[in-house]
Amino acid sequence: MEIDFTFLANLFGHTLSYWYVIIPTIFLGLIVGAIPGFSAANTIIILLPLTLAMDLEVGLIFMIALYCSSRMGAGIPAILVNIPGTAGAAATPLDGYPMTKQGRGQQALAMSFVASTFGGLLTTVIALFAMPILAEVGYYMHSVEMIVVMLFGISLIASIASKDTLRGLIAGFFGLMIGSIGTDVVYATPRGTMGFLELYDGVPLIPALVGLFAVSEAFMIIEKRSIITAEGRALMTTESWAGTLEGTRMAFRRWWHITWNSLIGLVIGVIPGAGASIASFVAYQQSRTYSKTPELYGTGHPEGLIAPESANNGVTSGTLVPLLVLGIPGGATAAIMLIVMQYHGVNFGPSLFFDQPELAYGVFMSMAVTYLLMIFTILPLSRYMSRITLVSTSFMSPIIIAFTLVGSFVPREYMFDMYLALVFGAIGYVARRTGYHVAAILIGVILGPLLETYFLRALKKSDGDIMVLFSSHLGNILWVCLILSLLLPAVLDYKRRRKAINAEIK
Amino acid sequence: MTDASEVAPRWEPERPSVGGQLVIPVVAIIFTTYFFTTIIHSPWTAQVNAVLIGSILIVLSVLQIGKLLLQVRRGEADMRMSLLYSREDLTLGRVYLLIVTLAYIYLIEWGGFTITTFFFLLISMLILNRGRHKRMIMLVSAGLAIGGYLLFILAFDTRFHRGPFEAMVGALLKNGN
Repeated sequence: MEIDFTFLANLFGHTLSYWYVIIPTIFLGLIVGAIPGFSAANTIIILLPLTLAMDLEVGLIFMIALYCSSRMGAGIPAILVNIPGTAGAAATPLDGYPMTKQGRGQQALAMSFVASTFGGLLTTVIALFAMPILAEVGYYMHSVEMIVVMLFGISLIASIASKDTLRGLIAGFFGLMIGSIGTDVVYATPRGTMGFLELYDGVPLIPALVGLFAVSEAFMIIEKRSIITAEGRALMTTESWAGTLEGTRMAFRRWWHITWNSLIGLVIGVIPGAGASIASFVAYQQSRTYSKTPELYGTGHPEGLIAPESANNGVTSGTLVPLLVLGIPGGATAAIMLIVMQYHGVNFGPSLFFDQPELAYGVFMSMAVTYLLMIFTILPLSRYMSRITLVSTSFMSPIIIAFTLVGSFVPREYMFDMYLALVFGAIGYVARRTGYHVAAILIGVILGPLLETYFLRALKKSDGDIMVLFSSHLGNILWVCLILSLLLPAVLDYKRRRKAINAEIK
Repeated sequence: MTDASEVAPRWEPERPSVGGQLVIPVVAIIFTTYFFTTIIHSPWTAQVNAVLIGSILIVLSVLQIGKLLLQVRRGEADMRMSLLYSREDLTLGRVYLLIVTLAYIYLIEWGGFTITTFFFLLISMLILNRGRHKRMIMLVSAGLAIGGYLLFILAFDTRFHRGPFEAMVGALLKNGN
C-alpha cells in the first residue's frame, strides 16, 4: 500500500471520527495524571478487561489518548500546588510553582498546555515520517552513551548548587545515596535496606516524589493563609481570559524553545529504558545552559516551564517508535500496549507497516488527533483550574496530605509506602526549612539507580576497565557535549559580566 | 542622669541560627556510614557506585559541618534550631497535623479508607481552622472521602483496606444486584 497524502488524510479523518472516545479519555487521563501514584500505565492495567474487550482500533485510540493526556495532567498539580503527578513532571514545578505564587497560575497552565500539545504534536508528526531512522537511535545508545545522558540530567544538580554550592551538592549526593538503596543489579546483594523487604527493589519513586514535594509542602504552606502572594491574589481575583491568552502568546513566541526541547524528548524517548523524567531534567538543564538569562531560572521563568513540559510530551511519541518498528517497548505504557495488541493478534516489527499500515500509522495519527483535540478542550480550563490556588491553606493542606499519601500506596499497594512517603516528607520539610534543595535530592533519587545500572553494565562488559567509559565515538562526542554544557554557563556568565562592566565604563 | 545604655538593651545584630542546617549533613553521614557497613562483604559490583557517591557525600557533609561550626566559633551564628521548630509550630497546628497524619496512616488499616480519610480531613481541617467553619468542613470532608471511595475503590478497585463503610456499601450493592 502506498503511503501518500491521500492515505494520511483519510487516516486523519477516520481517527477524528472517534472523537467520542478521545475526548472523555482526555479528561480521564488528566485526572489520573494529576494524582500522584496513578499513571497511564497503571490505569490501563486496571482497565485491562475493558481495553481487551474493546475493538482493537478503539482500544488503541483509548490507550494512546490516555497516555498523552495523563502526561499533560501530571504537570497541572506540579504548577498549581508544587506536586508533580509523575516523576516525568518533577522538573515542572521548578519554574511553574513560582509563577503560581506570583498569581500567574493561569498563564503558567496555558503555557504548559501549549508547550505540551505543540511539542507532542510536532514530535508525533516527525516520528510518523522518520520512524525507521529514529528506531536506529536505540542501536547506538549502549551503556556508555546512556551514562553520559544520565550525567546530563544529573548535572542539573550543579546548576541548582550554583546558588549555594555546598548545600546544593550535599542535597544531590544525598539523593544519589538514597537512590542506591536496594539490591545491586548484578548479584542482587541487598544494600542499605535497613532490613525492609519493601526496599529490596530500590526506593519507590512515587513515595519519594509525594514526600519530598507534596507532604513537605503541605506542612510548609500552613504558615500562610494562601499559597499565593498578596499581589498574586489581587491579580487572581480579577477573573478574565487575559491570563490564558497571555500564556498562549508567551508559549507561541517561544516556538523554537518548544521545538528544540520536544526533540530532546523524542530522542530520549526512543531509547528503551530512558523516560520522561530523564528527558525533562536534561531539557531543563539544556534550556538553562543556553539561556541569555540563566539567573531567572527557578524564579518563575517561562522557558524553565516550557522546557520540561515540551520534553516530557516529546517522550510520549518517542517511546512508541521502538515498539512499532522493532517490537521493543520504550517504556511501561508501551509495554502494556504491546500486551494488548498481541492479545488481538498484532505482531510488531517492520512487517506491520506492510501488512497493516492503517494500524501502524494509525497509532501516531491517534496521537496527533489527541493532541489537536486536547488543545481545544484543555486550554479554556486553565482559567478555572488556576482558581484552586485561592483555596485557603487550612483546607488545602489536609487534602494534599490525604490524597497524595493515598497515591503513594497505589502503585505497589504496600502500606509501607505510605510510611515511606511520610519519612520523605520529613526529609523534604527539614531540607526546605534549612535551605537544601528538594529538587536536587529528587534528581538523585530518580537518576541515581539508572546511572548505577548503566555504569555496572559497562564495567561488567569491560571486566572492570574504567576506560570503557571513553571507548565509543558517540560516547566521546557526548562527553565533549557534557563538558561544554558544564563549562559554557560559566563562560557565558563571564562574558555577560564583562559586557555589563564595559557598558558601565562607557 | 542615667546613661541610656543602662536602661535600653544594647542593639545587637541578630545572629542566624544554623543548628538546623546541620541536620541534613549529619543524617547523610550517619546513613552513608550505615550503608557502607551493609556492603563491606559484598562483591565489588555492589560497592563501587555507593563508595564513590558516599565518599563524596561524607567529604561535602564534613565541609558543611566545619563551615557552620566555624561561623558559630567566630560568633557570626548560633547553634539554635529555630529554623526547624518554634512556638509557631504549636500555634499554627503543625505539630497536631503531624500527629493526626501519623494516626491516619496507622488507623487506615483498621478503619478502612473512607471513614479514616473522612475523620483525618475533618480533624485536621478543624485544627487548622481553629474550630471555625464546622459545617463547611463537615461537608468538604464527607464529599472528598466519598469521592475518594468512588474513585479509588469502586472505579479503580485498588487494594485499599476495606472497613465498615466499604463492607456496608459492598453488601448493599450486592443485595441490589
